[in-house]
Amino acid sequence: MSGLFDQFKEWYEKRHDYAKAWKARTGGQVVATMCTYTPEEILIAAGMLPVRVLGAHEPQNVTEPHIFGMFCPFCRDSLAQGLLGRYDYCEGVTLTQSCIQYRQAFNSWRMHVPTVKWDYYLPMPNEVQSRFAKAQHYAEIKKFREYMEGVIGKKLSDADLKRGVEIVNENRRLLRELFEYRKETNPRVTGVDALYASITAQFVDKEEHNKELKRVLAELPKQANNREEGIRFMTIGSENDDVSFMAMVESVGSTIVIDDQCSGTRYFWNEARIQDDVIATIADRYCERPACPTKDYPAHTRFDHVLKLAQDYNAKAAVFLQQKFCDPHEGDYPDLKRHLEANGIPTLFLEFDITNPLGPFRIRIEAFLETLGEEELF
Amino acid sequence: MSSGEKKEYWRWQESCWIDESKDWRAAKIVTAGIDVGSVSSQAVVCVDGELYGFNSMRTGNNSPDSATNALAGVLEKSGMKLEDITYVIGTGYGRVNVPFAHKAITEIACHARGANYMGGNKIRTILDMGGQDCKAIHCDEKGKVTNFLMNDKCAAGTGRGMEVIADLMQIPIAELGPRSFDVDEEPQAVSSTCVVFAKSEALGLLKAGYSKNKVIAAYCQAMAERVVSLIERIGVENDFFITGGIAKNVGVVKRIEKLLGTTAAETKYDSQIAGALGAALFGHTLMLKQGASATKAA
Repeated sequence: MSGLFDQFKEWYEKRHDYAKAWKARTGGQVVATMCTYTPEEILIAAGMLPVRVLGAHEPQNVTEPHIFGMFCPFCRDSLAQGLLGRYDYCEGVTLTQSCIQYRQAFNSWRMHVPTVKWDYYLPMPNEVQSRFAKAQHYAEIKKFREYMEGVIGKKLSDADLKRGVEIVNENRRLLRELFEYRKETNPRVTGVDALYASITAQFVDKEEHNKELKRVLAELPKQANNREEGIRFMTIGSENDDVSFMAMVESVGSTIVIDDQCSGTRYFWNEARIQDDVIATIADRYCERPACPTKDYPAHTRFDHVLKLAQDYNAKAAVFLQQKFCDPHEGDYPDLKRHLEANGIPTLFLEFDITNPLGPFRIRIEAFLETLGEEELF
Repeated sequence: MSSGEKKEYWRWQESCWIDESKDWRAAKIVTAGIDVGSVSSQAVVCVDGELYGFNSMRTGNNSPDSATNALAGVLEKSGMKLEDITYVIGTGYGRVNVPFAHKAITEIACHARGANYMGGNKIRTILDMGGQDCKAIHCDEKGKVTNFLMNDKCAAGTGRGMEVIADLMQIPIAELGPRSFDVDEEPQAVSSTCVVFAKSEALGLLKAGYSKNKVIAAYCQAMAERVVSLIERIGVENDFFITGGIAKNVGVVKRIEKLLGTTAAETKYDSQIAGALGAALFGHTLMLKQGASATKAA
């Protein structure tokens, strides 16, 4: 929607400028985060700005000595940004365990990006379904708190952490409210709008982001929902901030109404359940959130979650945005595809790289749309 | 040929044809499909839902001109004017740049519809081997696409790759297929999946003492293996049909058939026009269903 989401768009396009300005304004530390399992609540409680590392979607030649070319494009593009000095304003870098490719990108970052002053690897269990997982993650969150206390040189009180939880929970709640608009017929919020809002939540000061979300939510009911929605799509995959791809999809007769991606719903879908023990509040939230494929075994909980999202948002079809060489997602794909199709949701598979060929992708999207409609042609 | 003049071995036969037995002036609906591909452009004119004429030529350096030139061939040969055509659909890579088109439809849908016309309504699996990509398509009895796959980011296994090999071997492209069988034993396929590297590998084979025919056979086999891996991902269901320029290369087609253990349906039509034909047929259906409002809506 023209205008209403401009602030999010500007934040996205000038994210480094934003972070530098934040740092100059507040004097706080900026932390490069490399996965949405990062417990941002603790970083915020420590007065820091968590900034999720994103790629630049442009060719690069700096990662080859550090990580394999057959690691996923997002890992390579992310690491490239560090090696190229584009996150030189970040004192810290942290990764919460998800996949091995991300971990190696993180290791290379902490060793070879000269501006890194501290780094922290948070070894979250991948088998979050294990009965021991929450206890283990509790212990790790506690250790992370202690480490951060060392970094800032003072204790983080429970009240500090609770404040962090409240801020992040509010952000999650507001994003959910925004995404509710995508259930509408001819939705007022497009896939591009939603992407700008959810991806910027991962690097903009949460309180500022919350304020902007509230402004947008107050304005949205006054806006007409006169967009012709076309076919309602869901997107599925890992990280995706390819705005030009999303805009292309929505320009050829479709609207992206929901996603299961870590750049979207997986990041903010569930709030932390408030418990007396704030560490348990934080630890449990990450064990209970909609799972990334790396943390979704032995039961595939995400299959029904994805299907329910598609049904709740009345998606007519799903597009898999598969980061090339992303083994966890690729491993899930055949069964998830079958699960969706068995429940009446046709799918299309597209393989994403650091740069994506919009022309050939457009043919695939249009041809997919033609298989879903165009009955007047026969 | 004068000395110093470069022979274009890659240049395939352009063609223009109209069905003299039909009188387009007596037709109720005249539609056209324009397929502007990366290598070739075709214009097909249908009268009352039947193929009337086509023109197939090399794509120029600009899509609108290529579309105009392709259609001009049929217009000139038939005495038709652009305004005599009720509905025009653009398809192919240049589909949105056909200046006189009422609608654009992807070549995937158009090839399926064209194959349905050319090969009959039993056709379920289509392999479109075009200039810069190949597509495996599954369709229903109406020619409606139910599933499809395209090759990714690479021109190996496509018409342009074959043109490169024709130039390298200095053998006219139409002779490559038959000559690929004139070998004492079938060679291993060239291993590269990239046109440029395949060319390097072909040069290496020549230097290693391979005959030209054997190198061509190795390239045809590589192309066949590449597209078969694509088509097997959507599953081959009979009847099976091949469209696009490579369908005219018997060296590739026979090897595909051998790998798949099936035979491609034969057609009396030029396989290269399938996309444009499908587009023209879609235009006819739209006119039947929507009448004049179809052109207004467009």
